[in-house]
Amino acid sequence: MSQIEFRNVTKEYDPGFKALDDVSLTIDDGEFIFLVGPSGAGKSTLIKMLIREEFPSEGEVLFNEVPIAELPRDKLPDLRRRIGVVFQDFKLLNSKNVFENVAVALEVVDSPDEVIKNVVPNVLSMVGLVEKMFNFPKQLSGGEKQRLSIARALAHEPDVLVADEPTGMIDPKSTEEVIEILERINSLGTTIIMASHDQNIVNKLKKRVVRIEEGKIKSDKKGGRYYGQIMAKLLG
Amino acid sequence: MDKLWQSFLVNIKREKLLVVANLVIMTVTFLVLGMFLNIITLSQTALRSLEEQAQLTVYFRDEFLEDQILNMKSELETDERVMEVKYVSKDDAFKIFTEINKDQPVLLESISRNILPASLEIKTKELADLSGMVSELEGREGVEEVKFYKEVIERFIAWSNAVYLIGLVLAVLFVIVSYAIVVVTIRLTISSKGSELEVLKLVGASDKYVKAPLVFQGTFFGFISAMVSSALLALLSWGGVSYGILPSKVALFFIPGVKLETVIYIVVLVFVLILSGVLLGFIGSSVAVKKYLKY
Repeated sequence: MSQIEFRNVTKEYDPGFKALDDVSLTIDDGEFIFLVGPSGAGKSTLIKMLIREEFPSEGEVLFNEVPIAELPRDKLPDLRRRIGVVFQDFKLLNSKNVFENVAVALEVVDSPDEVIKNVVPNVLSMVGLVEKMFNFPKQLSGGEKQRLSIARALAHEPDVLVADEPTGMIDPKSTEEVIEILERINSLGTTIIMASHDQNIVNKLKKRVVRIEEGKIKSDKKGGRYYGQIMAKLLG
Repeated sequence: MDKLWQSFLVNIKREKLLVVANLVIMTVTFLVLGMFLNIITLSQTALRSLEEQAQLTVYFRDEFLEDQILNMKSELETDERVMEVKYVSKDDAFKIFTEINKDQPVLLESISRNILPASLEIKTKELADLSGMVSELEGREGVEEVKFYKEVIERFIAWSNAVYLIGLVLAVLFVIVSYAIVVVTIRLTISSKGSELEVLKLVGASDKYVKAPLVFQGTFFGFISAMVSSALLALLSWGGVSYGILPSKVALFFIPGVKLETVIYIVVLVFVLILSGVLLGFIGSSVAVKKYLKY
């Protein structure tokens, strides 16, 4: 049984412009998968459908065999707790410190204070931010911000962690740290879906690579590589 | 509730200027709304007291006897439209005339005690009924003349209706303005917290978790600003009564003949304003949250 399934999904924003065009894709429990392709290829649209920020124009997206688009509104928070998301621009709360930024994910589900006090330091230690618990986002580097964003996504112990270009705004050293953390999380059983066009990371990790271009899946290979558009053309 | 209150206090601390601006705007709005209600009440009170003095006077021929007049008085008193009938005998009329003209002895000497006619002074519950009664009474036996200051009374009626209408329209307008202000206030808060609300939704917050603090804030602001404005109004009104500027009793809107102690009226006004503040705050913020908080 696949954990996530995109079944003939098409997303048409304006008539004639298809962000996704008849995409079918299955992702199994515990996989680490790269979604690669140039900007505007449809990677983010795919991710938005997973957390129901967007609806497919045609086809359906299933999570544990349940069509996401048909989930009742009151089940949506539960879906978003089971699929944690990390964004390129971090989406942190600048008025809250590191501890509070993670705690907010637990507060929204009315977790008791004792649980928050236990869980938050745990996830912060996973991403190496315990010492900066009381710092504010503006006092953190880009890499630290992204690690904080991962910690927040981990607070609910999600089944799936989706990272939309998580290394797009951070330096190479921080990128390595973030990737290392994502690999560690994956090794604990969490499915990782990472959108990226950083060929160094993709090629180094040798995971499953799904290449999307112009809204269509062009290739889907385990242990695949990614060369970017020019190199791909040169290499045929 | 405890967490809701805590997050509300944190929000207030963080956005002091916005909070103060919102409270001032809403307080002034409720103050103006309350003042309009006061103006309507006072003008109604003034008009009612003028209406109460409006009457028609039926003068009788000399041959129409006192018993007959008193019979007619009893008959009129059973009429539903009539509020009060007062009999003024020939003697009473002369006494009144003497009293009025006591400084003019020549005039008083020139008229005999019997010259002034007996009359009935009739007040109706509704000002508008006076006109109809005139034509009914004019044809009656023994009636010499029916006097009725038509123009003055019609002007009263016109003023009375105008004040009702304008007052009502203005009060409704101010309720709409207050509502719009609440909606805009919450809209501002939503804008200022835009990314925060988005993050809350993305980390799995329920609709209720995101909306409740905003609706709570709107309702609370409505309550506080209505409290402050009604306290100011109550203080002003109380001062007005103490210094004799305001009457001790006021007319109740749209209910003819009913008067309230001013103190009770102030309590009612405070209650109405606070209730309006809470309701407007709740409805306005709920609508703003629904309209501007995209899901």
